[in-house]
Amino acid sequence: MASGKTDTVLLSRTFITGLWQENPVFRLLLGMCPTLAVTAAVKPALTMGCSVIFVLVCSNIVVSLMRRLLKPHLRILMFTLAIATFVTIADLFLKAFLPEMSERLGPYVPLIIVNCIIICRAEACASKNGLAVSLVDAIGMGLGFTMTLCVLASVREMLATGKIFELSVMPEAFVPWAAMSMPVGAFITLGLMLGLVNTITKKKA
Amino acid sequence: MSKVKHFFEQSWLLIVSSFFFGLLIAVTNAAWSGRIVQNEIDKRNRLMTALIADANSFDVAVEAAQIPAAKGKVIKTDIYGALDRGGKTVGFAFIAVGSGFADKIKLVIAVDAKCEKFFGFKVLASNETPGFGDKIKEDYLGGQFEGAPAGKLELIKTGDDKKIDSEIVAISGATVSSEALVKTFNTYIGNVKEQLRAKGLTK
Repeated sequence: MASGKTDTVLLSRTFITGLWQENPVFRLLLGMCPTLAVTAAVKPALTMGCSVIFVLVCSNIVVSLMRRLLKPHLRILMFTLAIATFVTIADLFLKAFLPEMSERLGPYVPLIIVNCIIICRAEACASKNGLAVSLVDAIGMGLGFTMTLCVLASVREMLATGKIFELSVMPEAFVPWAAMSMPVGAFITLGLMLGLVNTITKKKA
Repeated sequence: MSKVKHFFEQSWLLIVSSFFFGLLIAVTNAAWSGRIVQNEIDKRNRLMTALIADANSFDVAVEAAQIPAAKGKVIKTDIYGALDRGGKTVGFAFIAVGSGFADKIKLVIAVDAKCEKFFGFKVLASNETPGFGDKIKEDYLGGQFEGAPAGKLELIKTGDDKKIDSEIVAISGATVSSEALVKTFNTYIGNVKEQLRAKGLTK
C-alpha cells in the first residue's frame, strides 16, 4: 500500500518536474533550434510539440525496455537509432496526413533527431528507470516543451498578425509588428520570457 | 573464433534493433507512400491550375524531358499539356528544380500554348530564409514573370518591376534567391521549347 502511494508520488513528481522545475526550454535551455524556428504561429508550434511528444514517448519506452541489455559504449548509437526511427515515422505521418503543415515545418521535423531534449531524457531517465517512470517523464517533458512553444507562438503570432489560430484578437487599430514573425522576434520573445521565468523562480526561492 | 564471438556479444542488440527499426520504417513507408505521392500530385495540379486559368485537365505532353544542367548533369522532368474543356491545348507546365540560398527550390513553371510567354510560376517546395529568401513566393517577384517573353531572362538590381519584359528586378535582401529563380528559368525554358518543338506540339 505504502509502496503504491510512493510510486504515485514519484510519478506525479516526475510529471510536474518536466512541466516546470526542469522545463526543457525555460529551465534546461534545450531544444532551442525548434523553439526559435517554428514559433511564428501557434499551429506549427503545436504540431512540432506533438511530434516531439510522440518521439519522446516512443524512444523513452524503447530505451527503458532495453536498458539492461545496453552496452555502455554503444548506448548513444542505440538511442540515436531509436530516435531516428520514430522521427522518420512522425515525418511520414505529417507528409501523408498534414502535408501543408509538413511543408511549413520544412527541415525542422527531421531535425528532431538531433533535439537535445530527446537524447537527454533517454540518457538521464529512460536508461536508468522502469517503464512507468520513463513514460511519465516523456509525457511531462513533452507537454512542458509543447506548452512553452505554444506560449511563445501565441505572443509572436498575436503581435505579428493580430491573430491567434487565425482568429482576430487585437483591436482593429492595431498595427502588426512584422518583425515578430522573423527570427529577431523569436530571440526577443524568448529572451523576455526567460527573464520573466527567472524572476518568478527567484522570488519563489 | 573468439573475435567473432566477442563481436556478436557486443553488437547483437545493435544488429537486431537495426533490422527491427528498418522493418518498422519500411512498413510505415509502404502504408503511407501512396497517400504522400497523391498529396504531391494534388498540389502540383492545384498550382498548375492556378497558373493556367483556362485549364480543365493536364496530360503528359513530353515524358521525362532531358534538361542539361550545370556540371554536365542531366535533369529529367515531365512537361504537362494543359487542356481546356474542349480538349484544346491552352498551355504547358513543368516542374523545375534550382539551387537556392539554403536548399533546392522546386518550381512549377507555366507557358502559353505557343510557348511565347510565361504564365508565371508557383513555388512547389523551398526552404529559403523566412522573411528574406522566402519572398520569392510573393507577388512582387511572381508578377514580373506573368506575361514575360518565354526566353532568356536577365536579373537586374534596380528597375521598374511593373514593366513586363525579360528583365526581372531582384528582391532586396533576397538577391541569391532571385538569382536562383532566374537561373532556373533560363536552364529550363530553352530546352523545354526545343523538346515541345521536336514533338510537333509548338512551331
